[in-house]
Amino acid sequence: MLDQTVYLCRRVLRNIRQSPVLCSAAIGTVAVALTILTFFALIVVNVQLLASHWSEDIQVVAYLDNAPQPTRLKEWRKLIEDMPEVARVTYVDSEEAMRRFSTRLGPDSDLLEGFDAEILPASLEISFKAEHRSRKAAEAVVARLKQNPDFSEFSYGQDWLERFESFLDMLRIGGGVLGVFLLFAALFIVGNTIKLTLYARRDELEIMSLVGATSLFIKTPFLLEGALHGAMGALIALGGSFALFQIFLQRGLASLLLVSGGGQVVFLAWHQQLLLIATGIILGLIGSILSLRKFVRI
Amino acid sequence: MIQLYNVCKSYQKDSSSALHNLNLKIPKGDFVYITGPSGAGKSTLLKLLYCAEKPNRGQILVNGQNITRMGSRHIPYLRRRTGIVFQDFKLLENRTLFENVAFPLEIQGKKRYEISNKVYQTLKHVGLHGKLHKYPLQLSGGEQQRVAIARALVIDPLILLADEPTGNLDIDVTLDIFDLFKGANARGTTVLLATHNREMIRRFPRRVIALDQGKLVEDFTP
Repeated sequence: MLDQTVYLCRRVLRNIRQSPVLCSAAIGTVAVALTILTFFALIVVNVQLLASHWSEDIQVVAYLDNAPQPTRLKEWRKLIEDMPEVARVTYVDSEEAMRRFSTRLGPDSDLLEGFDAEILPASLEISFKAEHRSRKAAEAVVARLKQNPDFSEFSYGQDWLERFESFLDMLRIGGGVLGVFLLFAALFIVGNTIKLTLYARRDELEIMSLVGATSLFIKTPFLLEGALHGAMGALIALGGSFALFQIFLQRGLASLLLVSGGGQVVFLAWHQQLLLIATGIILGLIGSILSLRKFVRI
Repeated sequence: MIQLYNVCKSYQKDSSSALHNLNLKIPKGDFVYITGPSGAGKSTLLKLLYCAEKPNRGQILVNGQNITRMGSRHIPYLRRRTGIVFQDFKLLENRTLFENVAFPLEIQGKKRYEISNKVYQTLKHVGLHGKLHKYPLQLSGGEQQRVAIARALVIDPLILLADEPTGNLDIDVTLDIFDLFKGANARGTTVLLATHNREMIRRFPRRVIALDQGKLVEDFTP
């Protein structure tokens, strides 16, 4: 068993040593395909991060005709807080609303001098749980609150929410389609490159078969070699995408995140890096299997 | 040893048969020439015997085993008992003589010291033990064919199949090569040698199976 394993490893290394150009081509193909894929994945992940940061701002503001009695207010708060979508309810009375308005006006706040705080209605600010930060949840809550005639008006940025959700959907679908397309393109290119390496060794495959090698014996080194090409390509892709990340994403997206008050631009987490290497290995293996089916017939 | 019953083989539907209703019996240890003009079916017969092709009809028994019904998983094990020699040698150009001859033994999972010993003995037998680390392209055609024969003999085959092994070689080299086949036969290997070299048949008279357009036209032992 040990002898066979050593022999297999020797054959894999010999194959790589004997066809350095084709091996480099296979590794390079995997590297380029996975670098492009990873770079797009990084864009999607970071834009989604930005989007999720924005979605924290989704809230419903229910305006009240008159300032409620404390007992009434307590009832409403309990009623709203009991709704499954709701995380928090904040009561903003007229004075607080005026104070915020004044703060927002900044140096022009003296424009408000002489105005009574009562001109601004009291309101309830309703924030959502993370999993319910969507237009649908906001509409559901508003529909329930509308049954109460004490709430005169609702504001939850309907148009903005609609556009924001469409953008998120487009990003998810576009990212998914692009990812699948790039993976298939990579598989096709890797498969063909490996086919070339096998074509260069077709004599060896034929002779092996003629002197009594089993299908498994013939295929195993090529499968291992494919997996090794995939792993090496993925490692190069990891380095390449990190370089692209540093050059383009760090500067481009970071400034956008900074403006919007969002977090930092992130690179792949360690488990995503492992997934990338696994993807490379699987690409190499599938490419080898598809090509071997054509070349190894006993 | 080898028995063929009503074997038919055609490569394409509606085309003329490469082999037509062939019946043969070749006893163990026999030396048989398979002769005939180009397209007579000599190579096809050999291909059927090492399972590179399947007959369209009929049965082939090798050592009592019906190889027409053999699953593809078992074919490698049949080939491990069969030495095959081709006109174009089919050597691996990027491997040394030693590595080429060691190849079938490595495939069979033999121990390294066993392989070294056996390969050296076999190359010595064909007179190439002084060129162990040369590559095929550094050798003459005759030497390359001797390496191919060494690769076929290193497994101590029960059957040795040779398809025009001296087709491209001059007469002196051909005589050397024939000596190797005779030697293998003397040690008990059944030899089937496809050739249209009448001179060889005249010099080393053995059983002759003559084919023409896929049919057996002559089977005689001098």
